[in-house]
Amino acid sequence: MALQLTDQGIIDRSKSMPAFPRVVTEILATLDDDGATLGALVHHVERDPVITARVLSIANSAAMAGHSGSDVHDVRKAVSLIGLEKIREITLAVSLAEFAHGCRMASYFWEHSVAVGICALEVGRFTHQPSGYALVAGLLHDIGQLWMAHFHPLEFQMVRSAASSGTEGINEIEQRYFGVDHCHIGRLLATNWGLPPSVIDAIYFHHDPDQGLGESLVAITHVTEVLSNALDLTGREGNMVANMSAAACEKLGIDWSQDLGPLFGRIEARTEYACRVFR
Amino acid sequence: MNYHLRYLPLPDVAEGMVLGAPLILTEKGVISFSLPEGHLLTETNLQQMKVRHAEFVCVREEDTRSDDERADAWAKAEARLQRIFRAADLSLPVMANLYEAVRAYRRT
Repeated sequence: MALQLTDQGIIDRSKSMPAFPRVVTEILATLDDDGATLGALVHHVERDPVITARVLSIANSAAMAGHSGSDVHDVRKAVSLIGLEKIREITLAVSLAEFAHGCRMASYFWEHSVAVGICALEVGRFTHQPSGYALVAGLLHDIGQLWMAHFHPLEFQMVRSAASSGTEGINEIEQRYFGVDHCHIGRLLATNWGLPPSVIDAIYFHHDPDQGLGESLVAITHVTEVLSNALDLTGREGNMVANMSAAACEKLGIDWSQDLGPLFGRIEARTEYACRVFR
Repeated sequence: MNYHLRYLPLPDVAEGMVLGAPLILTEKGVISFSLPEGHLLTETNLQQMKVRHAEFVCVREEDTRSDDERADAWAKAEARLQRIFRAADLSLPVMANLYEAVRAYRRT
């Protein structure tokens, strides 16, 4: 028999999860703010010692390669070495990695999320879609599963086992055990955390995108979630591809019959690189 | 002689490897560094790429496997692909095209 979960109950219980990193919503706000300054981004980064350490580590690696002869000790200098866009990516990925770790989620969850995030960035660029939120939508698309694993680990494991051994869709299996699926829970959490509407839609519709195709981020997140499994980016035994929306592909203008080797190669190599950097 | 292309994360790229595709790095939309296809990578090139935050490189490698070894590797790759697509309806054009796109990529 399925669990009896209510929307309010899901939100109430989420308050006992590790705090959702405030820096994520703040960084996302800087994407929408044309007047956002370098100083504002530095300020957000400096408030989190783990992110600061990771940013300085990557900056020092670049500085040593350039034989600059001096260590990088402050975030402002690191930003000038690494660049604003990369700092945003590092900050989002490290923040959400910490969050997933705090929720005691298996490394598979994080690696799959990184894979979809990288895939979303690359497919967004390849199809000339606005990709400001692509990384964060990819990183957060399965956030509802984090809630499931945190509060109902036994049922969650049973869902994973059923998904790995059969051909039934993950949402249908989750409905049987939880009464709701991870897309529904993810939408509740993302709304409660104040994430942008396009990211909320991407989380909610990523397995059933045809209802949300007014937002290109929905199409990107759906297609890249499927593609990450098709390319076996995490190498997990249970990886499976069942459906992909033709309308979502059309929305993005993807022609699967063209030579996509360079795109697939970039996705594979960048995902492997990112998983090593953030592991 | 057989060659194949591989996209490698930068830490796996070594001096002496040959670029399988042009390398173009940009900063703020402006090309900051480029090398042509077929270029033999030097230690200096690797440092230059690292400074510019390159994450991956496409290299051309000689495929030294025998025909039997290649056939065996391809059979394993295709079996894995079929396993991943076990629930897909390949009579649908979009699914068939995706399957063929990944299959073609695995074949290279």
